Amino acid sequence: MKKPFYHYITIGIVLLYLLIPLLGTFQYSFATSWHKTILPEGFTIKWYVELFGDLRFLKSLGRSLVMSLGATILTLVIMVPAIFSIVLYAPKLEKMIQSLIVMTYAMPGIILAVGLIRAYSTSGISMVLITIGAYFVGILPYMYQGTRNSLRNINAESLMEAAEILGASRYTAFQKVIVPNIISGILVSSLLSFSILFGEFVLINLLVGGHFETVQIYLFQKLSQSGHIASAIVVCYFLLISILSAIMIKMTRKKKEPV
Amino acid sequence: MSFLTIENIKKSFDNETVLHSLNLSIKEGEFITLLGPSGCGKSTLLRTIAGLIHQDEGKIHIDGKDVTEVKPKDRQVGMVFQSYALFPNMTVQENIEFGLKMKKLDKETVKQNAAKIVELVELTGKEKSYPRELSGGQQQRVALARSLVTRPKVLLLDEPLSALDAQIRKNLQKQLRSIQQELNMTTILVTHDQEEAMAVSDYVYIMNKGQIAQSGTPHEIYTRPVNEFVARFIGNYNVLTREEVSNLFKGEKNFKNKMYAIRPEAFSEDRILDGYEISGKIQKTSMLGNITRFELEANHVSFIADRLHKIDEDAQKQETKTLYLNRKDVIPLS
Repeated sequence: MKKPFYHYITIGIVLLYLLIPLLGTFQYSFATSWHKTILPEGFTIKWYVELFGDLRFLKSLGRSLVMSLGATILTLVIMVPAIFSIVLYAPKLEKMIQSLIVMTYAMPGIILAVGLIRAYSTSGISMVLITIGAYFVGILPYMYQGTRNSLRNINAESLMEAAEILGASRYTAFQKVIVPNIISGILVSSLLSFSILFGEFVLINLLVGGHFETVQIYLFQKLSQSGHIASAIVVCYFLLISILSAIMIKMTRKKKEPV
Repeated sequence: MSFLTIENIKKSFDNETVLHSLNLSIKEGEFITLLGPSGCGKSTLLRTIAGLIHQDEGKIHIDGKDVTEVKPKDRQVGMVFQSYALFPNMTVQENIEFGLKMKKLDKETVKQNAAKIVELVELTGKEKSYPRELSGGQQQRVALARSLVTRPKVLLLDEPLSALDAQIRKNLQKQLRSIQQELNMTTILVTHDQEEAMAVSDYVYIMNKGQIAQSGTPHEIYTRPVNEFVARFIGNYNVLTREEVSNLFKGEKNFKNKMYAIRPEAFSEDRILDGYEISGKIQKTSMLGNITRFELEANHVSFIADRLHKIDEDAQKQETKTLYLNRKDVIPLS
């Protein structure tokens, strides 16, 4: 079937609309100065040199990584076995998980932040830990969906039964049979969760703000100082997310193809 | 001396009784079939024997040991699932070795046992394949090998062949039976296919609504159904009421039971001494491969009669047919 040409035009316009800001940011991060011309007057890598020379940036990058990775791994370790047990052995509890998940969507970030501050600011618990806790809840939907779908795909119930009858304990069966078969699905949800958390700004800014500078807060502050550096940060961030997305796409494809 | 006994097993789900005080006993090396329509409780019974479902009441003994409260992993039973349930992350070899590794046997023993069983189920050369690369029949043989390799005391088969096409199913039935006999493996097969049950088992239990409707050798079950359910379930029996039977065999008055069953192939075209004689109008003739089936009407009673297919079939032209029947082939049902 031949597609009419206006399909291509529409897609072209949408693509341009999406790509121009990125392209602009990309060029701006390499531009010496860019004021009255259509294209930048010259190109330089000095903004990147400056950015990576800034200890504050590297530290904030480290903090972002620790926060996002920490919350993701925590969710992984606690929620995957929990969802597995609920889906297989206590399906009645699944409704509770589902309502928990809906609640995470019903709660706007700003209300969540204010609520958390009011509840915990005087408790003496570090607000960084509180934020990780909030992240944990925030990425629940992705982890839940990913894990549950993977379990359904492999028909986990009969695999467990088969393994148990062959003499495996439930723990061994989970570890040797279930985990290897759902790992790619779980990794995809983890990567997704990680990239969402890595870009999170509202909660971290309100809850801990300047005390604990993450990449997003650093970017926010740089925005008022130098557009070039801010652009360079965005480009780096974008690159990281692209790499993560590429890995995700590759992993989901691999699952479908016969080896 | 029975090898596996089931005493008074009861099970209900959400106030609905699935198994009503079932009793069963199986000798060592016997191949028995639980046959019944879907929802009759046959799979529930099988899963209870495996320990995957816990019964509400009753006891299960295997090889003289009370296993009622034993976990599935320690029951020493093998099970083949309808969905095969092969481990997709493992090769054929690894799937088969899984049970042996769980027993913590040494590497050499694991290898030898696996190799033997691979040969037995004719999967040589496929050891390194993954389950998804195999055909349905091959996958089923892997599932069988995986269950057999640990030498379970009882092998449980939950409709293992129902997802396969007719040709492969027939071949696997034969293979299954010969492997079972070679290993002298006590086996319980669950199926809803009466032909399959007849073809492979030593003994058949027909189940209906959580109870055993009839048990016996395939021959007994087929030739002497005891009630209407069995007669309707195991073949194409003519199931007739007392009035219909009296009408069909005019002059006969001594029918006392409510229902009677007549096998369609029991009708004969040759005269039978001291038998019944019926002349019926042919309503419809159908060719079912090796047999020809006539739908007839006599004295306002419809019935079917089968005859081996003849090459010079002239039945289409005939309008009436005179058939003979042995008296003992009119089976009273309870």
